[in-house]
Amino acid sequence: MAIDLTVNGVTHSVDVAPDTPLLWVIREQLRLTGTKFSCGIAQCGACTVHVDDRPVRSCSMPVSAVAGRKVTTIEGLSPDTTHPVQLAWIELDVPQCGYCQSGMIMAVAALLKRLPKPTDADIDAGVTNACRCSTYHRIRQAVHLAAAKLSTQVGKL
Amino acid sequence: MTDTTNMDRRDFLATTAAATGALVVGFWVPQRANAQIIHPEGAAWAVDPAIPEVNAWVVVAPDDTVTIRIGQTELGQGVWTSNAMMVAEELQCDWSKVRPQYASANRDAREMAPEWTLQVPGHGAQDPNGGGVPEFGERKSDGVNGIPDTLYRRMRTNGVGSVRDGRYYLQLAGAEARERLLLAAAKTWNVPVDELSSANSVITHRQTGRTTTYGKVAALAAETPHPHPETIRIKPPAEWKLMGTEQKNLDVPLKVSGKAEYGIDVILPGMKWAAVRSCPVYGGTVKSFDFDKIRHEPGVISAIQFPIPDPSLIRGHVFGGGVAVLGDTWYQAKSAIGKMPIEWDIPPEYAARNTANIRADLLASLNEPGKVQVNLGDCDAAFRSAAKIVDATYSVPYLPRARMEPGNATVLVTGNRVDIWLGDQSPQETRRSGSRITGIPESSVYVHLCHLGGGYGRNGNGPQAEQAIYVANQNRGTPIHMLWTREEDFVGTTFRSIGVARLRAALDRDGWPIAMEVRTATDVDAPGQTTGFDVAPRYFAPNYRFSTHSRKFHIPVGTRRGVGAPAQTYYRETFMDELAHAAGKDPYHYRRELIARTTLPYKADMIRALDMAAEMSGWGKPLPKGTARAIALEEHGAEGDGMATISAMVHTVSISREGKVRVERVDVAHEEGFRLINPLSVRKQIEGQIVWFYNDAMNQECTVEQGRIAQHNFDQFILSRIVDTPPEINIRFFNTGHWMNGMGHDRGTSIQSAIGDAIFQITGKRYRDLPFRNHDLTWT
Repeated sequence: MAIDLTVNGVTHSVDVAPDTPLLWVIREQLRLTGTKFSCGIAQCGACTVHVDDRPVRSCSMPVSAVAGRKVTTIEGLSPDTTHPVQLAWIELDVPQCGYCQSGMIMAVAALLKRLPKPTDADIDAGVTNACRCSTYHRIRQAVHLAAAKLSTQVGKL
Repeated sequence: MTDTTNMDRRDFLATTAAATGALVVGFWVPQRANAQIIHPEGAAWAVDPAIPEVNAWVVVAPDDTVTIRIGQTELGQGVWTSNAMMVAEELQCDWSKVRPQYASANRDAREMAPEWTLQVPGHGAQDPNGGGVPEFGERKSDGVNGIPDTLYRRMRTNGVGSVRDGRYYLQLAGAEARERLLLAAAKTWNVPVDELSSANSVITHRQTGRTTTYGKVAALAAETPHPHPETIRIKPPAEWKLMGTEQKNLDVPLKVSGKAEYGIDVILPGMKWAAVRSCPVYGGTVKSFDFDKIRHEPGVISAIQFPIPDPSLIRGHVFGGGVAVLGDTWYQAKSAIGKMPIEWDIPPEYAARNTANIRADLLASLNEPGKVQVNLGDCDAAFRSAAKIVDATYSVPYLPRARMEPGNATVLVTGNRVDIWLGDQSPQETRRSGSRITGIPESSVYVHLCHLGGGYGRNGNGPQAEQAIYVANQNRGTPIHMLWTREEDFVGTTFRSIGVARLRAALDRDGWPIAMEVRTATDVDAPGQTTGFDVAPRYFAPNYRFSTHSRKFHIPVGTRRGVGAPAQTYYRETFMDELAHAAGKDPYHYRRELIARTTLPYKADMIRALDMAAEMSGWGKPLPKGTARAIALEEHGAEGDGMATISAMVHTVSISREGKVRVERVDVAHEEGFRLINPLSVRKQIEGQIVWFYNDAMNQECTVEQGRIAQHNFDQFILSRIVDTPPEINIRFFNTGHWMNGMGHDRGTSIQSAIGDAIFQITGKRYRDLPFRNHDLTWT
């Protein structure tokens, strides 16, 4: 069955079973491998993408549920790694093994859309992705740094 | 030898970049020379340079881009950057133009190391002019517990050895390349080489001010051998310019854009996917499976049974037998195998095992003679004259590494060649497995290292490689990507052994130990059983006895992050807190005095670490009710005068009346040895490991039910989140003037005893079994 979905601004028609998780359509059909598989049960968040600007754990969302909706993956977050969250991540040297970081960055980018100036408590409640290297200490600082970069950007607009 | 690969296969020669921009690895299977493997932007594996190399570690392009070959694996510990820094320091090249790349494990099978890399210069741990003596310094061909004489020496990444054991030959490699670039410039200008100097990839003739760059003379340097490479010396720490500075990790931009090519991301033209189900009880085998039930599921191709117990399929440990199903996509293969009936043959003695009877066996073993590791003085006599005896029994659970990237490998076997793409901590061993399973010589096995989604103690190794090689060998000519589910990743791993320990101390009237007895029990094959207690007590007792006890269980055990240190630091430091409380003394001053009474070679550093951490934390200053501080020592190698790593941490912990634990701040006093290679990387390691071991203290355990590990995913095996992370981590370094052991695995272990003692101080309850989440932590 063909399903139409828009990923990073490009509309694709994929022929898969409708209950195929969005993650596997992104990775296997569209070959966008920046979005990672880790638990498969929406626990860890390594597979986080945006659906209509909201963070979604794509391993547990059937592709049929996103038909006609706007999906953004890490590859579509910025064309040249210049999203404020990516810049903050680079500046504070956040990743270690890096495997969870695509999902982490997508979760944080969505959080900042909702809460442009998050407090530590907002971050604790809003970023529930898992990082096994436990880079959380730097993630927390980098969220604040990204928020500051975003507010400067907004100020310039 | 003829290439039996059919012609069709060469049709997918070139790299195909899919329209969507995926990284599709293209290659051709060559008739004679090396594979021409296209190098996607985010790939880490070795490629043969189009330009001649200066030596096996260094390639300088005409535009001065420097490629540095990395012989160890990046697991997040920073080796991709720190190893490059060690070469670049001596090379004196422009750091902004350095591009790391994994060294070729295949080439390592075909070439021997240059003679000048084989000797460690210098005279031990206290000599700043050399390498110290590597812990794995013995020259052994297998690269497991020694360093082989093959080209890249030790390619295994374990035992925090990447800097410790590799630094001397990596610095030498950079220095040799630099000297040859200078020789080439001298030849070009026809001047004596000692009139030249270099910095930032620029060579200057001091008399005339004339300059050239490395890129311009690199081709000539490649043809200019050094007449006496054995005379090249490495820089002592006082001369370092790049090493010792905080450098961001070179892979970070790739890891924030989704471009880093992990093993799971490899896609080859014509590739098929394999999903696996292994016997949930280790050592069990497949009795039967019914492929007909899934044969017509979408995308399903075939099923392959692993011939366990074929020893060629395992690396050091016996895993369960299993079945792989091949499909067009992984999701199809995985969905189908989930529906396939499989009957297991499980040895009844394994099925009878559970956590309770395993732990009971270990506790029983504590009452047996055990293996006496240390026996100083006369413990029995001292216990008879004790004013007070403190006796405590502790336990820790089985723990997996649970890296984020599930096990996977992509393998193509053709008539005379094996190509393996994966994240791997021991490519030399994987190369050997590739040869053993296929019968193709190691010199024709190519291991293409990818970024690795966590390792934490050899999780980057078998049996994912062996399973994938086996399936690919049954399907020669078709690239096979085998990927485990998360559930399968819990089965395909080895565990930190379950353990128990009984510590007893005889105290005199003033509360000081006159004897200490330590008995630990684990699986007989658990590594690191003597860590932290060996040779002599870290805290003085004139009579000291340490024995190890064991049983053999079927659950496979291995080197999880920290190896023996996490459990044994937990036992030792908790017991010291218990002794201090029994003696009515301050736990910091009690520890300090007992270290001062020892004759341990690094005792001054140990005292300094305690003093600095206590001072940083405001030790002794009043805290609000429900908040407590605890101090502990962390050491690696304090018992000898070889390399050591010494630190101390104070944890400030609050517990709500409802029993919610929060680590408020951590103050870390950490040595820097002579000097750290990349202090930024070290800070990141300390920050991460504090939270890693927070998980061990609070959250994580694997239990055994009917012979199987009961937890298979992150809903039952709890990973901490940002909310559990201490809001404040303060780290300060102090110089000790000796070479350090390493940083990647046993830092931050003291959070376990610290939380335990904070629970005791706040709630009055002393729990001795990890994790603490199993206990009632409420108080009134």
